[in-house]
Amino acid sequence: MTLLKLLTWPYVRKHLLRTWLTVAGIALGVVVFAGMHTANDTVLYGFQKTVDRIAGKAQLEVSSGETGFPEEVLEKVQALAEVDVAVPVIEATVSAGRQGNLLLLAVDMTGDRSLREYDFEEGEEAVLEDPLVFLAQPDSLIVTRDFAARNNLAAGGKLALDTMEGRRHFTVRGIMKPGGLASAFGGSLAVMDIYAAQKVLGRGRRFDRIDLTVKPGVPVDQGRAAIQKALGSGYQVERPASRGKQFESIARIFAIGATLNGMFALLIGLFIIYNTFSVAVAQRRSEIGVLRALGATQGQIRRLFLLESAVLGLAGSGLGILLGLLMARAMAGYLSDYFGEVYGIAQRTEAVAADPALLAFSVLAGVLASMLAAWIPARQAAQVDPVRALHKSAHETFSSRESRMRLAWAAIFLAVALAMVAAGGHTGLRLYVGYLSVVIAAVLLTPAMVRALIRVLRSVLQAILPVEGALAADSLLQSPRRTSATVAAVMLSLSLVVGLGGISAASYDSIFEWMSNVLNPDLFVGTSEQIAERSYRFPPALGETIRQMDFVDQVQMVRTVRVLYRQTPVMLVATDLKSLSERVRPKVVAGDARTMFVEAAQGKGVVLADNLALMQRLKLGDVIEIPSPGGVLRLAVLGITIDYSDQAGAVLMDRSLFLRNWNDDSVNLFRVYLKRGVKPEEARQRILERLGPHSRLFVMTNQELRKYVMKVTDQWFGLTYLQIFVAVLIAILGIVNSLTVSITDRRRELGVLRAVGGLRRQVRQAVWMEAAGIGAVSIVLGLALGAVVLYYYLGVVGGDLVGIRLEYRYPAGMALLLVPTMLLVALIAALGPAEAAVRASLVEALEYE
Amino acid sequence: MNSLVLLLMVCGVRAEDGRQIMREVQNRTKANSQRYEGTLKVIDGKNRISEKRWTYERIGSAGDSKVVLRFLAPAEVKGVALLVVNHPDRASDQWMWTPALQRDRRIALQDRSTRFFGTDFSFEDLEERDADQFDYRVLAEENVNGAACWKIEGRPKKTRSSQYTHSYLWIEKERYAVIAIDAWHNERLVRRIHYGDYRRVSNIWTPLTLEVEDMGRKSKTVLKTEKLEYNVPVKEEAFTLQALRRES
Repeated sequence: MTLLKLLTWPYVRKHLLRTWLTVAGIALGVVVFAGMHTANDTVLYGFQKTVDRIAGKAQLEVSSGETGFPEEVLEKVQALAEVDVAVPVIEATVSAGRQGNLLLLAVDMTGDRSLREYDFEEGEEAVLEDPLVFLAQPDSLIVTRDFAARNNLAAGGKLALDTMEGRRHFTVRGIMKPGGLASAFGGSLAVMDIYAAQKVLGRGRRFDRIDLTVKPGVPVDQGRAAIQKALGSGYQVERPASRGKQFESIARIFAIGATLNGMFALLIGLFIIYNTFSVAVAQRRSEIGVLRALGATQGQIRRLFLLESAVLGLAGSGLGILLGLLMARAMAGYLSDYFGEVYGIAQRTEAVAADPALLAFSVLAGVLASMLAAWIPARQAAQVDPVRALHKSAHETFSSRESRMRLAWAAIFLAVALAMVAAGGHTGLRLYVGYLSVVIAAVLLTPAMVRALIRVLRSVLQAILPVEGALAADSLLQSPRRTSATVAAVMLSLSLVVGLGGISAASYDSIFEWMSNVLNPDLFVGTSEQIAERSYRFPPALGETIRQMDFVDQVQMVRTVRVLYRQTPVMLVATDLKSLSERVRPKVVAGDARTMFVEAAQGKGVVLADNLALMQRLKLGDVIEIPSPGGVLRLAVLGITIDYSDQAGAVLMDRSLFLRNWNDDSVNLFRVYLKRGVKPEEARQRILERLGPHSRLFVMTNQELRKYVMKVTDQWFGLTYLQIFVAVLIAILGIVNSLTVSITDRRRELGVLRAVGGLRRQVRQAVWMEAAGIGAVSIVLGLALGAVVLYYYLGVVGGDLVGIRLEYRYPAGMALLLVPTMLLVALIAALGPAEAAVRASLVEALEYE
Repeated sequence: MNSLVLLLMVCGVRAEDGRQIMREVQNRTKANSQRYEGTLKVIDGKNRISEKRWTYERIGSAGDSKVVLRFLAPAEVKGVALLVVNHPDRASDQWMWTPALQRDRRIALQDRSTRFFGTDFSFEDLEERDADQFDYRVLAEENVNGAACWKIEGRPKKTRSSQYTHSYLWIEKERYAVIAIDAWHNERLVRRIHYGDYRRVSNIWTPLTLEVEDMGRKSKTVLKTEKLEYNVPVKEEAFTLQALRRES
C-alpha cells in the first residue's frame, strides 16, 4: 500500500486523462454486460410482479396454451375433491386510446373475492359488497386509483375502450386503492366481469385460465397431480410463478446476446488496459529500477502493478455499474414495449430490478479483466533490470523469441479453429471454441501483421507528407506493443461491427424474400394495428361476410396461438393450407414443396418454420408433440420452410385439425386476395365502410403490413445498433488512449523536432498521420477479421439464438462506409492529443528525463 | 319464503322429537307453489340503506323444488334473475341470468357461502332443504316474546355440505312456526335470523317480515313480503334457463 501511495498516486495525478480512459475502457464492458442483463431482469421482474399481484392467493393455474378452453372445464375442476376454490380468468391488454394500454383482468366477481383482495376506496364499497349492478351492466369497470388519477376519472366516469364491436364507453363503478392487485401492470389495470369480457374480446364461451387454491391440508403438488389427471395432458397445471419461466425462455435470446456482447466489450477494454499498463511500465522504468536497487522484490513490483490494475478495474466497474443501471432503465422500457408488441406478454416495467449477484459478478469480471490485462506488463515491470532501467524503448519491442512464440501459438489456435470447422462446428460448443480460437489467433498475429502493414503504409504516408509521414510511421513501428494493442482493440471492435452488420443485412434480405414469397395477399384484416396482437378475435362468420363482397377473390382465415413445445412458447398458425399452398411459394428447406401442404391439409402432420426446426433440432419425419385441450397431439413434420412469423418458431397446421382439437373457431387475421384490377386502397375503404362501424377491425394493405414487419425487425435490430455504437465508442477510446500515450511518450522527441525548426503544423500533422495509420491498419485487419467473425455469428444466430438460417454475405457496403468513418474517427480522436503535443512547453519537453 | 324458513332447520333433546317437530314445521308450510313480491332493505354497519325489489316464484316443496327470483329494482338490475333448482339429496344448482349480456352464469358450489348480492343472505341461504338432511336435537324449552318455544339444535348430515356447522332454531309450539335461527360456524355465530309479522295465508302461517343479521359485518337485511300467494298456477317450464332467456 505504501508503494501504491508513493508511486502510483503521483503517476495517476500526472496522467489523469490516461487514467480516465483506462477506467472508461473497463466501464464500457461492464456497462454493456450489466446494463443489458439488468434491463432484461427488469422486464422479467415487471412481468413476475404482474403475475404475482394478479395471482393473489391462487396456488395453481390451469391453462391450455393461449387458446383458452371451454367453460365446462371450470365445472370439472371445481368438482374435484382436492380443489377448494377455482375461478375463471381472462387476461388481455386492451387499448384505452390516449389513456394508453390497460391490462384487463376479467373475473367472475361472485366468487373471485375468495382468491383476490379488491381493496376499494372509501365510498366505493357498494361495488364490492353488492356486485349485482357490476354484473348486470356489461359496461362496468373497476380501475385503480393510479389510473383514475392519471386520467381524471371518478366513480361513474366514462372510459372508452376498443372492443370487438368498435370503441365503446365503459362506466367506472369502482376505484381500487393502490397496492397489491391494484399495482399490477404498473397500476394500469382494469377489472371487468368475465362474461362481459368474452363479448368485448370476441372470446366466445371460453376462459383463458383457471386460478385455484387446493383444500386445506392437501399438498399443492398432490392437488396439481389430481387436476392434471382429471384434465389430461392437453392442459398445463402450474404454479403462477412458472409463467416467469416461459417468459425467460423468450428473453433467453436477449440474455445470451447481452452476455456475448458484454464479454466482447470487456475483451476490447482488456486491450486498452494492456496498452495503458505497458506504457505506464515503460514510463516508470527508472522508478522501478530505483526501487529494485533499493531492495524491492520482483513480487512486490508485480503486486504493485496488479493492485493498481485492480483499483482501476474496481473504479471502472463501479462507474460501469452506475451507467449500466441508467442504461437499463432506458432499455427496459424499450424491451418491455418489444415483448408486449411481439409476444403479447402483459408486463410493465417499474423500478430497475438490479440483481446483486449480477452486479457483483460484473464488478468481479471488470476487476479480473483489468488484472488479466495488466498481468503481462506487471510481469515485465517485475523483471526490469535496475542497470538497464535507464535504457529507453527496449521494452516496447518484441524479442525475436517472443515473436516466434506468438506465431507458433497463433498457428495452434488457427489449427484448432480449422479442426472445429472440419468437425462440423456450425453450432454448439465447437462453434464457440472455433470462434474463440480465431479471435485469440488474430490477436496473437496482430503485431506481425501491424508491422508488415505499417511498412507498406510508410511509403504512402511519406508520399503524402514526407517528414510528417515518416515520423508517424516510425513512431508506430518503434512502439509495436502499444500500436499492436491499440490496433487489436480497434480491430476487434470493427470485426464486431462487421459481424453484427452482416447479420443485420442478411436478416433484412432474408425477411424481404420471405415477405415476397408468403405475405402476398392484397389486404390483411386484423383486430389491431399490431398484427401480433391476439387479445381480440373475430367470429369466423366475418370471413364469410368479407368473402361475399363483390371485389374479393379469396379469404384465408388465420388463427395464431402460442402453445408450449418442450416448455418453450412457440407460435401455432392454423389456416386453410390447401388454399394457402395455391397462393404462396415459401422457400422450402426440407420436404417436398408439392406434397407437404396437401398432406398437412389432410391433417397428416404439420409444416415447421426453419428457425423452430434448427433451435429444437427437428428434422423431416420427426414427430412433434403439441398439447391441446383435446389431449397431446403427435404430428409428423411434413416439411420445413423459411418462415419468420415468430421469433420462437412457428408450426403451420391446417385449420380443420385445429378446430377438431381446440374446438375454437375464432380468427385473428383474414388474408384477403382481391379480384384482378381492384385497388387495395378502395377495397379497404369499402370493407371499413361496411364492417367498421359494427366491429373492431383494422385493414392493412400489403405494403403497410410489410412496413409493420420491417418496423418490428428494426426494433429488434435497434439493440444491435446500440452494440455497434458501443463497439465504435470503444474503438475511439482505444485510439485516443494510444495517441495520448504516444504523445506523452514522445514529448522529448517532439520537443527536439520543434527545437530544430519543426513547425507546430508539422507536429500536429504527424500526430494526425499516426492516428490515420492506426485507423488504416485497424480497418484492414478489422474488416478481414470481421469476415471470419461473421461466419461464426451466422452460426450463433442460426443454431443457438433464433434459429434463423442466413446466407453468408459480406456487408461490403457497410465495410466501405466504415473506411472513411473510421479514418475520420481516428482523426477526431487525434485532435486532442495533437493539440496537447503542439501546446506542450518546449523547455519542459527538452528537460524530460 | 319457504326456502328461507326451512333453510336452516336443525334440532332436539331426543333426536326423534327434534325430527318430528321439524317434519311438522315442514308439513305445515307445504305448498305446491308460491309467489310473492319482496322488498329487500340492506342496512350496513354505517347505517347506509340500499333497497332492491324482486319477484319470487317457487314450484314444488321440501327440497324438491325450483325457484325463480327476478329483480325488479333498482333499474340497473331489472331483469336479472336467479334460478335455483333444489335437490333432496344434494346441494342445489343455481344460475344467474343477466339480460344485458343475454347470458347465464352458473353459481359454483364453492361460492354458496358468499353473500347474495350485497344482502346478508348467502347463496346457500336461498336453498330449500329437506328436514331429513339434518340431525336434530331438542335442547330446551324457552319463552320468546311471550311465546312458548322449543330450542332445537340442527347439524347437517355428513352427506350435506354447508357453511354452517350447526344452528339453533326456536320453534313456536302453538303454530309450529320458526321464530328465530342462530347459524354457527364452529364457535362463531355467523347469522341471526328473526321471523315476524306472521299471517295466515292459504291456511299456512307465514312470516311476512324476515330480518337477517350478519354478525361479523354488523349489517342487517330486512325482507318484507307482499302479494303472497300459495298453490298458484305456475308451469314447470317456467323454471328453466330457456324460460329465463325467453322472459328477459
